[in-house]
Amino acid sequence: MAEATTAPHDAPAASASGEADAAQRIKPPKLHPLLRFILIRIGISIILIWGVTVVTFLLTNLVPTDPVAAILGDRAAADPEIVAQTREKLGLDQPLLVQYFTYLGNLLQGDLGVSNQTRTPVLASIGQVFPASIELGIGAILISVLLGLLLGLLSALKQNSIVDHAIRTLSLIGISAPTFWIATVAYFVFFFKLRVVPGAGRLDPWITPPPKVTGLYTVDSLFAGQMATFANALGHLVLPSCVLALFTIGLLTRFSRSSVLDIIRLDYVTAAKAKGLPARTVVFKYIFRGALVPVITVVGLAFGSLLSGAVLTETVFAWNGLGQYAYRGATTLDLPVIMGVGLVIGVVYILVNFIVDLIYGFVDPRVRVR
Amino acid sequence: MRRLSRNLVAICSTLALTAGLAACGGGSDEAGGAGDTIVAETAFNLKTIDPHRQFEFTGSTIDNAIYQTALEFEDGDLTKPTDGLCSYEMSEDNKEMTLTLKDEDAKFSNGDPVTADDIVFSFERLQGIKGNPSFFLEGVKVKKVDDKTVTLTSAEPNPALPYILPNSSIGIVNSKVVKENKGTTDENDGAEQFLNENSQGSGPYKVEKYDADSQVVLTANEHYNGPEPKYKRVVMRNVSAETQLTDIQSGQAQVAFDLNADQAKQIDESMGKISSLPSTRSLYIFNNTDEKIGGPAADPNFRKAVMAAIDYDKLTDLAGKGSQRMASLVPNEFVGAVPKDEAPERDLAKAKKLLQKAGYDGEKVPFHYSSDQAVNGVDLAQLAETLQAQLKEADINLDLKPAPSSTQLDGFRSAKQPMGIGTWGADFPDPTNYNVFIPGGDVADRVNWKDDPKLKKLADEAAEAKGDARDAAYAKLFKATTDTAVWIPLVQPVSTIAVGSSITKFVSNADVSFDFAKAE
Repeated sequence: MAEATTAPHDAPAASASGEADAAQRIKPPKLHPLLRFILIRIGISIILIWGVTVVTFLLTNLVPTDPVAAILGDRAAADPEIVAQTREKLGLDQPLLVQYFTYLGNLLQGDLGVSNQTRTPVLASIGQVFPASIELGIGAILISVLLGLLLGLLSALKQNSIVDHAIRTLSLIGISAPTFWIATVAYFVFFFKLRVVPGAGRLDPWITPPPKVTGLYTVDSLFAGQMATFANALGHLVLPSCVLALFTIGLLTRFSRSSVLDIIRLDYVTAAKAKGLPARTVVFKYIFRGALVPVITVVGLAFGSLLSGAVLTETVFAWNGLGQYAYRGATTLDLPVIMGVGLVIGVVYILVNFIVDLIYGFVDPRVRVR
Repeated sequence: MRRLSRNLVAICSTLALTAGLAACGGGSDEAGGAGDTIVAETAFNLKTIDPHRQFEFTGSTIDNAIYQTALEFEDGDLTKPTDGLCSYEMSEDNKEMTLTLKDEDAKFSNGDPVTADDIVFSFERLQGIKGNPSFFLEGVKVKKVDDKTVTLTSAEPNPALPYILPNSSIGIVNSKVVKENKGTTDENDGAEQFLNENSQGSGPYKVEKYDADSQVVLTANEHYNGPEPKYKRVVMRNVSAETQLTDIQSGQAQVAFDLNADQAKQIDESMGKISSLPSTRSLYIFNNTDEKIGGPAADPNFRKAVMAAIDYDKLTDLAGKGSQRMASLVPNEFVGAVPKDEAPERDLAKAKKLLQKAGYDGEKVPFHYSSDQAVNGVDLAQLAETLQAQLKEADINLDLKPAPSSTQLDGFRSAKQPMGIGTWGADFPDPTNYNVFIPGGDVADRVNWKDDPKLKKLADEAAEAKGDARDAAYAKLFKATTDTAVWIPLVQPVSTIAVGSSITKFVSNADVSFDFAKAE
């Protein structure tokens, strides 16, 4: 302990003035703080992504069961020759470390492997299903941001009124009700009973999807000028998006409410009111903008969780997205699929966090990098 | 603040309008109408629709509509194989089958005629690529005799062959096109992806779009030589059972494959009807015969006590209307089935006596099952809990060991589980398919059941029996197998298919679960 506290005193003095000058002379030109921030964040993100590959690989391979058994039928699994051949074909006969480096090497070449079940390249399948989840995620995030922020704002502005209580109760329901149950009930009520939305799937089954550009049916049908297909795709999007948005609406309402309540008491808001600025200006320019910062984090994280958490919603609505693909991969012990989806979701989370950090600076000058 | 409220109203109105507009667009038929399309829904277990590799329900249902086979089962009668693309003759010793190309007008979806070469290539490819269904023609030599004749020769008598050939895994493909697309008759075959996206069969449909995760679209094969199907397109979608129920009741789908007994009851008669078919699955209890692993389960008296303690009528109630008692693992509709009236009965007094004889003192016996699996609507977790409660009445204590099916299957195959629930789906409707349960068979190995001279003698006799005597010989063998109580047959579930009311006529039987081409 004594050594530790005395150590700084034992260290050589900072430097002679001549050395300092020399150091200053060879210093490279200073990077713009924002660029430096971005570069550091990119570096951290790469390390994080590598970490994700290690974790997904280890977790998937430590499952105490044999994927070959899940791949082969009862008869084929009884034949040791076929079992050995399959194991060799999948590289499962190699030591775990070798398997990891093969996986990493392939990954660096953009190869996520081939599904053990369907023999389809995982990257191609993810490319196929990812736009479906993005479309659903964007729909859900738009609905939840719009409603969540407005309800939160309204709740805060009408604090302790009936409106406030009603909104808080609704947000609590949104957060706590199980998505699968809500999805099933919503499908039954809005599709089966009221017939206000079309059935499950991304389009009616007899409609051919528009030519693929982005993979988002709403966007692609517009590109192709197919207005009826666009309306159909949009119709199919409404209910699953709303169901998926419910949790995030509840979360955002609560966050934005408390955030607005914090801001509303600050001096600059009082000053703005005292200056006689119109209520709309005070609410949107002063209160709302200040309240946005913590809310952005929630939106960012919500987007990631919407992608990974849509499994049950996608199952009920036969929405062929990443969630359903992951579910199938997990239930059939399809290791390349599980690792591929895990990696993609990890990358999306990391990317979204990175973007959120950048947006912070634009919204709130106090956290801007100087 | 008034302005704020106005904005809020405006935004909400826009949202509502968008939803309304979108809902109105639900009936779009920009790219084709609903009238000539059948929408069929199932929870996918699809790996491939390459006929020589597929081995699951979804792939088999699709391939039934795409590929013709050498032989068929007429009207779903699984006891009598009949002519398909070929007629057949078995040699006296059951070692040689002669197939004669009968259907000379049959054409593949590109217009090429079906030839004897296509049949030989299809059989040899099935054998050579060493996929899941390769065992169907294991040890069979395929030879083209002339342009119309093919022989199949087995070293041992192979009376099951006519029952094997109707399987959609042995669909006849266009050899010329498949070879041009990396198709071979050995393990280097690379035509799977091609066959997934470009089916090469002579059946009523061909594949239009293949997506193993979400849906497969079939379109009518214009060169099909049978009656033109009324429905020109079939959309087979990956949909959960809960959603299937709503979809069939609303007219969104015309066929739903996965409804359980409770869901089937909920269907409004005006919206759909239920077609109940005997399932070719068997549910049973397995007992490990190795004392070190099986513990009490290795004792024949304990096993027989378990058999006497089960309330079988309650199990058929659980499995739903149409499910049946089983006197052996062979389904009741097959040659070699033991008559249902010989099925075990509940007798608690007998069970308790047998337990005394076994010296069982109430110790817990680990009981393994797949907790995430339902077989024809019978939830195995629910079945396990029911059995636990029933056996408790005879003072038998089961220690439930649920596990996901992928893990459970692994444990069972490694022969280390004392007791549990097993399931078996027939690969082909012949009693020889159940020889794996006799000592020396692959499944018998999983309970360490190595030897039983009595059963071996009966199995040899059954293998040599011919004609009608075959049925009786196999029934005798499997009755004797049940008597050992190594396998305790529980129930033969029912396969339920819901068909929407827009379909007025359809064929649905134990061979082809739903014939899309014959639906009207």
